[in-house]
Amino acid sequence: MSPHRPRILVIDDEPQIHRFLGPALEAAGYEPIRADNAAQGLAAIASRAPDAVILDLGLPDMDGKDALLRARAFYTGPIVILSARDMETEKIDALDAGADDYVEKPFNVGEFLARLRVALRHRLNQQGAPAVVETGDLRIDLVKRLVTRAGQAVRLSPREYDLLARLVEGGGRVLTHRQLLTAVWGPANVDDVQYLRVFIGHLRQKLEADPSSPKHLTTESGVGYRFVAD
Amino acid sequence: MTNDEPLRPDPDALLADARRQGRGRLKVFLGMAPGVGKTFEMLSDGKRRAEDGVDVVVGVVETHGRKETESLLDGLQVLPRHPVQYREHQLMEFDIDGALTRKPRLLLVDEYAHSNAPGSRHLKRWQDVEELLGAGIDVWTTLNVQHLESLVDVVWKITGVRVRETVPDGLLATADEIELVDLTPEELRERLYAGKVYMPETARLASDNFFKIENLTALREMALRRAAKTVDDQLVGAMRRQGIVGPWAAGERILVLIAGDAAAVSLVRAGRRLADQMMDAPWTVAHVERPNKPAGDARSARWLADAFKAAEQLNGNTIVLTGDDVPDTVLEYARRNNVTQIVVGQSRDPFWRILAGRSLGHALLRSSAGAALHFVSVGAPEPAAMEPTLVRRRRITDGGGYLGALILVGASSGAAALLDRYSRGSDLGMIFLAGVLITGLAWGLRPALAAAALSIGIYNFFFLAPRFSFVIGHASDVFTFAIFIAVAGAAGWLTGRVRDQARLSSRRASAVTALLAASRRLSGVATGQETARALAEQASAAAAGRAVVLLAEGEDLRLSASAPVDVTLSTAEMTAARWAWDKREPAGAGTGTLPQLSWTFRPLIGVRGRAGVAGVEMDPRSGVDEQRLVSALLEQGAVALERAELAAAAVENEALRRSDKLRGALLNSISHDLRTPLSTVMGSATTLIDYDATLRSEVRADLLISIREEAERLNRYVGNLLDMTRLEGGALKTRSEWTDVRDVLASAIKRIERRLGGRSLTRDFPAHLTAVQLDPGLLEQAVVNILENAIEYCPDDLPIEVAVYEDRANVVISIEDDGPGIPKVDIERIFEKFRRLEEPSDRNRGERKGAGLGLSIAKGFIEAMGGRIAAASPIHGPRGTRILISLKKPA
Repeated sequence: MSPHRPRILVIDDEPQIHRFLGPALEAAGYEPIRADNAAQGLAAIASRAPDAVILDLGLPDMDGKDALLRARAFYTGPIVILSARDMETEKIDALDAGADDYVEKPFNVGEFLARLRVALRHRLNQQGAPAVVETGDLRIDLVKRLVTRAGQAVRLSPREYDLLARLVEGGGRVLTHRQLLTAVWGPANVDDVQYLRVFIGHLRQKLEADPSSPKHLTTESGVGYRFVAD
Repeated sequence: MTNDEPLRPDPDALLADARRQGRGRLKVFLGMAPGVGKTFEMLSDGKRRAEDGVDVVVGVVETHGRKETESLLDGLQVLPRHPVQYREHQLMEFDIDGALTRKPRLLLVDEYAHSNAPGSRHLKRWQDVEELLGAGIDVWTTLNVQHLESLVDVVWKITGVRVRETVPDGLLATADEIELVDLTPEELRERLYAGKVYMPETARLASDNFFKIENLTALREMALRRAAKTVDDQLVGAMRRQGIVGPWAAGERILVLIAGDAAAVSLVRAGRRLADQMMDAPWTVAHVERPNKPAGDARSARWLADAFKAAEQLNGNTIVLTGDDVPDTVLEYARRNNVTQIVVGQSRDPFWRILAGRSLGHALLRSSAGAALHFVSVGAPEPAAMEPTLVRRRRITDGGGYLGALILVGASSGAAALLDRYSRGSDLGMIFLAGVLITGLAWGLRPALAAAALSIGIYNFFFLAPRFSFVIGHASDVFTFAIFIAVAGAAGWLTGRVRDQARLSSRRASAVTALLAASRRLSGVATGQETARALAEQASAAAAGRAVVLLAEGEDLRLSASAPVDVTLSTAEMTAARWAWDKREPAGAGTGTLPQLSWTFRPLIGVRGRAGVAGVEMDPRSGVDEQRLVSALLEQGAVALERAELAAAAVENEALRRSDKLRGALLNSISHDLRTPLSTVMGSATTLIDYDATLRSEVRADLLISIREEAERLNRYVGNLLDMTRLEGGALKTRSEWTDVRDVLASAIKRIERRLGGRSLTRDFPAHLTAVQLDPGLLEQAVVNILENAIEYCPDDLPIEVAVYEDRANVVISIEDDGPGIPKVDIERIFEKFRRLEEPSDRNRGERKGAGLGLSIAKGFIEAMGGRIAAASPIHGPRGTRILISLKKPA
């Protein structure tokens, strides 16, 4: 066990969730902090400085989205949303409001912990972002702006490269259509989702072994895309 | 129009054009008299069309057995006639429905002015033709000029024949084509003598008079002029449509003054003729109502109504002016409306008025600056039925007055005799004068005059020298008698005036009151059905007869309300109602459609469209005021019905919206209430799989227990959903067996025991309890649901109490918790389905488990067994909830 166990704050009003998530987090080497409502949760963020926050959207005292916005006002660490709602718009709103990722209930603990690890690693990377990402035969050098596949340089248009770079910088997080469009095409084009589809299609043609079942550039239906390294 | 303004087409002309779109075209074969060959001409033209391939059908043609005419029918399709039973005769009439069904391109209909047999849909054939044109069928028809409404009087004066079958002039103006069938009078007379002109028996007597050369020449001139005028009108119309400036009506405006007498209709026709001469100048028929004069009797009201109706048929405007001084009122109106021509009837004022220059004509002549005056001499009024009831009533009133006069004069005489005995020489005339004055004030003019005459006789005979003789002794007595008459006249006139005014204002007031009451009544009701009922009752009261309201139901009309309630409508009456609905025009009594009925049906047209049809059976003696009141009422009713319809639509929308919301709540509930326990099951299971080795044994056990608990929770929820579905779908079958409620409660408590946690549960069961007949399974589930609800809402350490007791008729179960209680506003709704989920935000969503189905199911089960369930909160100070279930004991 490492000397420093990352503190994970779980804000959920269902005692049953704490009942299994607490032991699971402990077993995975984290230190769980329990909060049963938004007020407790916000207080714990302020006083305990958790390394990451798990936030349920359906809270008794405050809408989860409001809690997220309040937390974001003073907390920069990763926030992962837990939600029984499966409406795409709510996920998108939460991601746009500053959440790092979301996990739908019911969930598999293994997958949930993997998402949590990605979120934590991304925050660490931000301090000293890796210039080069390598996965399989794909190598992306963000400093030289060079993409190679099996040693061969891949020709990308400037837009394609920008889009890929944003996704890689996301470090495995889902990026919403709005976030990607704003970053690559500018705020005037936030509704032009069809651009994204076309360019993601091009990137998959050039980078994926099987463009019809992509491994790296995965789609989050109705929400956005993420870059997955092996 | 000024020069710099572009010439625009006249909107009125374009409108008339647009109204014509989709209508059939009307062609009239116009002749001066019977026998000129109109029918022959129409048939030969029609035949030529048929040979050109046009779909021509003969609707009705009177050949009167003439060979040449009959031979023309060969090769033309002739519509079979339709038998109409009238008294003992069977009349063969034109079959309008047959024509509408056949729907030819062109239909030939003889004798435009024909009156249909009583019982037909329309009174007149020209109304049939209107309907045919409306259905898009082209119609050719024939008409003699003397049948034109505005020419009836002229024809009567020229020929001495009063034509009863008339056609409104306006119709001829709307004809698309007029063909004049002309013959010189000499030729016509030759044909007449040759027996080629058919005359019905009744007219044969008049025919010698009618077919005089002078008459025929005059009629021929009228026909020629009328045909020329129509051609002219069509030219002017075409020019106006295209915005061409032309020599039309140079600002002439005609005002026709009518009174409630037999001459009114003739004056209206005269006005129309004048308007024709002035290039169709706008013309208005006015009647002046004098507030200080009693309204005329029913007869004069009918004359006025007929005149106004005639004016409308002849395309004139109508207006009722109000003012005590008729000439002033008329001139004021004339000035304001730039009237240039005033038409008045030849004065029938009393001779003294004419001598004093006070007749209407004179007054107008003196001051009608700018307007030309037309005096129309009016012939003898048409005989009209007397009104026996009204005449009798008047006589009774007057009789009472005369009796009073007699008594008062008698009393005056007695008083005068007494006074005369004790104090000779006093002025006894004053006593008689008092009697006359009182009579006048009490009973009006005529009794007062009678009293005056009687008083003069008695006073002169008994009290004035020479006594016991009618000889007048002094010249000054004549003066006294004159004063008697004057006082009688003044008092009587004054009283009459006051009384009439009072009667008038009370009648107006009662009309206004009735309208106000109706409006209040109509605005107080919510549904269309209630509005219909209120409207029928109000209309029935206003019309002093029966009234019905019919509302649309799908394609048909349904009798929705009637006053009195047991009114049924005959087939003919329903036909009239449907007609009124379809055509948006009144039908039945007093209209052109099915006038033989006693009912009048009017479409109720609101702001947005038709709302229904109202039928009223007016008291035949009712006057203009009542009819106006009924119309005003029906207008209000139409708007009220429309409002009710809108309100119903709004309610329906609201219900839909709520059911949508409920569906949304159900989906949310399923997604939340199924997923939350599933999350625990899956999360715990995957934790066990992934970290089995690193977990402490008590943690492992706890995860396993939570898996079981949440699986149970899921099962309960699914069970609830199934129960709800059974309740909703009506598939719930209740058994009925003798049950000890204490046993059911005990097994329900056992089922929830493990979930109590730290809560204590106390039971208060009596030693003896009457058994009740019910379904123990359903009762147990209901109690379990209530207990689970209590557990969910009640913090861990607070007690729950289950008690059962009995009163006289019921076994009562009481379940109390000491939880936070339920707010007053929600207590009514706690048994509603998904109550919690309907809250404005889903902030509370995760707070409690269960979808708010439990209590609703409990209520459904209890009620299915004939029991009742109720909730009370708070019960202990600000806290606590008590649910009571009461179950009927056997009788």
